[in-house]
Amino acid sequence: MSEMIAALSVIFISAGVLLLVANHLSLPTIPFYIIAGFVAGAFVPQEGVLDLAQWGIAFLVFVFGVGVDLPKLSTVFRDSEFTASAQLIVLAPLGYGVGVLFGFDPLNALYFAIAATLSSTLVGTGLLEVEIRNNLVHGRLAKSIHLLDDFVAIALVLVLSASAFTADAVAAKIGYGVLVVLLALIIQRHFFEYLTRYAEGSQELLMIGAISLLIGFLTLSELVGISPVIGAFAAGLAIRRDYTRNLGMLNGIGSIKDFFVVIFFVTLGALVSVPSPRVFAVAAALVVLTAVCKPLITIAALLYEGYDVRTATLTSVSLDQISEFALIIAIQALLIGRIAPDLFDALILAAAFTMVTSSLTRRYDEAVFERVTGPLLGDRQTRKIDEQSSVGGAPTDHVVIVGYGRVGRRLAATCESAGVDYVVIENDPAMIAQLREGADRFVVGDAMYEYVWTKANVGEARIVVSTVDQRRVTDRVLDLDVAAEIVVRSADSDEAAELRAAGASFVIVPDVLASERLEAIVADLLDGSVEADALKTRHLTELDRLEEHGLDSQTPDERPI
Amino acid sequence: MVLQEAFVTDFALIIVTATVIGYLAKQTGQPTIIAYILTGLILGPVFLDVVTEEGLVELMAELGLGFLLFLLGIKMRFSDIKDILRPIVNIAVLQTVLQTALAFGVAWVLGFDLTETIVIALATVFGATPIIVKILTDKDEITSLPGKIDVGVLIVQDIYLVIVLALFSADELTNATEVGVTLATILVMMSFIGLFSLLSSRYFLPTLFRRIADNKDVFFVIGIAWAFLFIAVTEHLELSVEVGAFLAGISLAQLPYSKELEERISPITDFFILVFFASIGLQIAADDLTAYWVEAIVASAVLMVGNFWIMFYLIDREGFTVETSFLGSINMIQVSEFSLVVGALAVTQGYIGTEVLGYLSLMALLTMSLSTYVINYNHAIYARVEPFFRRWQSDEQTDVELREFDGHAVVVGFDGVTEGLLPLLADRFDDVVVIDRNVEHVEELEGLERYETVYGDFRHGEIRKAANLSDAAFVLSSTVQAEINERLLTEVDDDATVVVEAETAAVARRLYDAGADYVVMSTQLTADHVAERLRTVLRDGGTFGDIDTSRGPVRDGDAAADGGERDV
Repeated sequence: MSEMIAALSVIFISAGVLLLVANHLSLPTIPFYIIAGFVAGAFVPQEGVLDLAQWGIAFLVFVFGVGVDLPKLSTVFRDSEFTASAQLIVLAPLGYGVGVLFGFDPLNALYFAIAATLSSTLVGTGLLEVEIRNNLVHGRLAKSIHLLDDFVAIALVLVLSASAFTADAVAAKIGYGVLVVLLALIIQRHFFEYLTRYAEGSQELLMIGAISLLIGFLTLSELVGISPVIGAFAAGLAIRRDYTRNLGMLNGIGSIKDFFVVIFFVTLGALVSVPSPRVFAVAAALVVLTAVCKPLITIAALLYEGYDVRTATLTSVSLDQISEFALIIAIQALLIGRIAPDLFDALILAAAFTMVTSSLTRRYDEAVFERVTGPLLGDRQTRKIDEQSSVGGAPTDHVVIVGYGRVGRRLAATCESAGVDYVVIENDPAMIAQLREGADRFVVGDAMYEYVWTKANVGEARIVVSTVDQRRVTDRVLDLDVAAEIVVRSADSDEAAELRAAGASFVIVPDVLASERLEAIVADLLDGSVEADALKTRHLTELDRLEEHGLDSQTPDERPI
Repeated sequence: MVLQEAFVTDFALIIVTATVIGYLAKQTGQPTIIAYILTGLILGPVFLDVVTEEGLVELMAELGLGFLLFLLGIKMRFSDIKDILRPIVNIAVLQTVLQTALAFGVAWVLGFDLTETIVIALATVFGATPIIVKILTDKDEITSLPGKIDVGVLIVQDIYLVIVLALFSADELTNATEVGVTLATILVMMSFIGLFSLLSSRYFLPTLFRRIADNKDVFFVIGIAWAFLFIAVTEHLELSVEVGAFLAGISLAQLPYSKELEERISPITDFFILVFFASIGLQIAADDLTAYWVEAIVASAVLMVGNFWIMFYLIDREGFTVETSFLGSINMIQVSEFSLVVGALAVTQGYIGTEVLGYLSLMALLTMSLSTYVINYNHAIYARVEPFFRRWQSDEQTDVELREFDGHAVVVGFDGVTEGLLPLLADRFDDVVVIDRNVEHVEELEGLERYETVYGDFRHGEIRKAANLSDAAFVLSSTVQAEINERLLTEVDDDATVVVEAETAAVARRLYDAGADYVVMSTQLTADHVAERLRTVLRDGGTFGDIDTSRGPVRDGDAAADGGERDV
């Protein structure tokens, strides 16, 4: 029984105890691993554990690579190219400048700038899981920015692994990096299939095969002299995700990653020595850049692009933490002795700190909007709304539809076929093209603004239907002092009763409506009174028709207005 | 550079070699464990001699063993075997005694000295869990009666192994008194730890895990931390850490969340145990493997036959039918992987030389590879020999009826849509099994006492197996993740009625192509309904709320009417 087992016991038991705290406070896990490292640091021998921690990095990046969906990447990036670039262009030089002011050499100032600029996918995207799943605008934007940041980080790892920063050396690294990634794509396309096929369904074998691929790429990156992070990432790209055939393997890699990642983050914490005042000063500067400057720059960029203040605020406060990739870059730099020890300590401290604060700002993001950014920036909205909307002459006796998702679009179509005027209210500037094409009249802006409703001439409307399942929008609609009939949406029947009492004439509860309908269908299927084939054919024809008229698309309804 | 050197190690070489041999073994129908032992033999002194068992390899091997025992503990759900507990305990205890005696006799006759003979006898346990479980699962026989008997016997056997392991971990064993004292000390201390494990499983863990089960990272880390806690304590008390890991597992096994944890821990075990089995191969020198090759072949032959008859006699004695007895016995004719675990430990403690480990390894390799074919063709073999075995058949012999889900309804995910459908399903099916990974949902459903629940993530194989998805007559999935639904569709019975959810038309088409009977599109159904109301209001006047819904849901024909009528 080696002392390594004892070290691992310390790592996991202290991580376990601290995770109980994290769980109790509903905070993200990563900062608590790092804190576990601070606490247990003295008992963790660095030598052997560092080896395991590096497998943690390798698996972390590997699994990130497995999750990358290349064909969809450009669509995801398109959402935030501008904002992410603005963030890089403004924040990186700013960070570099501050780094230089602290007396760091150019390379260390660069590490400082990287830490200040990039955001954490694991923390940021983890916190926004629900928003991303529901495809809310700010969830989508944040995910996109995080992903872009991650790719920038990988590119930086590649460049920073150059032994000398001459144009030739850097170009060579980039060249090798590109080749390694290309090789991975070739393997994914042509070779991975055989790995799956000859495993004959054995997920264990396939998993070991996938890990062998990882080892192969790590070895290759060593041979050509680039960072193993690139190798791990490329290995991830080489894995094809196919739930029908390799779900067990993907789960398995995930578990092994989770195991090593704990070791990585705890070790990271253990590497931090007792901080000096200077370390605190550097960490504080990083915190200010990350948690204050970065959100401000992001808000400015998003507003410039036409997003409303709320979306901009909510997106920005989900970016206010240091990226785990910055930690990877830092530990790599530490291992090759390039990063200043005090910068390393400050970086880890600031990362742990901002990861915690980020989940707090996330928890109070609506308050930040209502109390801070909303009042400060709200005036800008009127002009923007005028620019982007198209209402024609003031409609009367019309229907106001909030949200242009699938339900909203169907309602618009219904109005059109009934020959009744309608106005759509939608807050996602990305929908403008669709609105122009499909809707006669629309207002682009957040339904929370009075001006949006004035613009929609709600005073003379006959019906207002909100297809948006967000309580603040629902309350806003119910607060309208108008003669129109009010229809809102809610996720559960209890709330629906409450909303009816508050003045809604009807509440759309999708689960209940779908459930009623499904019950009838399933009863028919089980009784045999309807043939599955007939049902299927009918549904498919129906889908064809809907698609033909643009009434089905990837954008669900739950979009905020 | 330091970082880059970290990855190209003996450990990496083992994994890659094991992969290659693993794939080759797969093509000949051999289990991975054989490939792993061969990996060690090839990389170790027997052939290439390029890898040594130290550093990371040693650590991983130790972790592998610890996790293997932990996982074994997690699988020890007392509820799984309670129907046939009594016969199983009888079979297991007598089987262990008889077959240890047989192994002792064979080793003694083959000329090993007394210590070696004792170690060999204690180490030669028949029935390799990974092989039996793996092949029977693949053949869909793991829940058949012979399968259950085998698994039950293997579980009880594990307790015996844990004691043997504890004994071998003790430092001084020179005379009978010391053995006795050591054994007594071990048993007393282990009882304390065991008691702590059972008490915590009763009073402390349910509350703890109920709180953390919904956060999958916390759940996972706390599970592992629990294992390391026991490992650290047993290590401190100089007891066997493997036993500690095992007891940690048992205390978690009785929780409703154990299947989910088992599923998360298995891959880590698979990964590390590879290194462990390879490290066994690494310990053996070329001479060791061949030192007793004749003995190994003779012993394998005698023990395979002997153990078959022991098992057959014991199962038959409990009153099961001849077919059940035959199948239950013939599945168990291979040396357990624990022979190597115990053997490796005995080498470390200096009780035997590596050549005896070579003998044990050779026996394991021979019996495991042969038995793979035997298990695969167990029914065909029985058909051939049935006339001969019929003489033991008597009228009193019957098989126990095992209760398991069949022709039932499975509902994946408890949400607003599926909730409304549950009463309908409960009226039509004997069992309605709901899979959900939210503690509150599961507790709410259990409170209703009308439905069976399985706690866990549908993505995990163990969870699907627990709900017996492949034998369900009706399946409803409320996940909108296309990939998961596609996976579901590959696993269900062809005759089952399957209803899945999708968000977009493109995905719905894919799912129909994959065999779904109906694809629920919640948003579309909602849009149908609301558009229908709006149309009525705009046409006839009145308000949304006034519309009479008693005529039931809108008909299909109307659904796309808006689109159809639209002038585009």
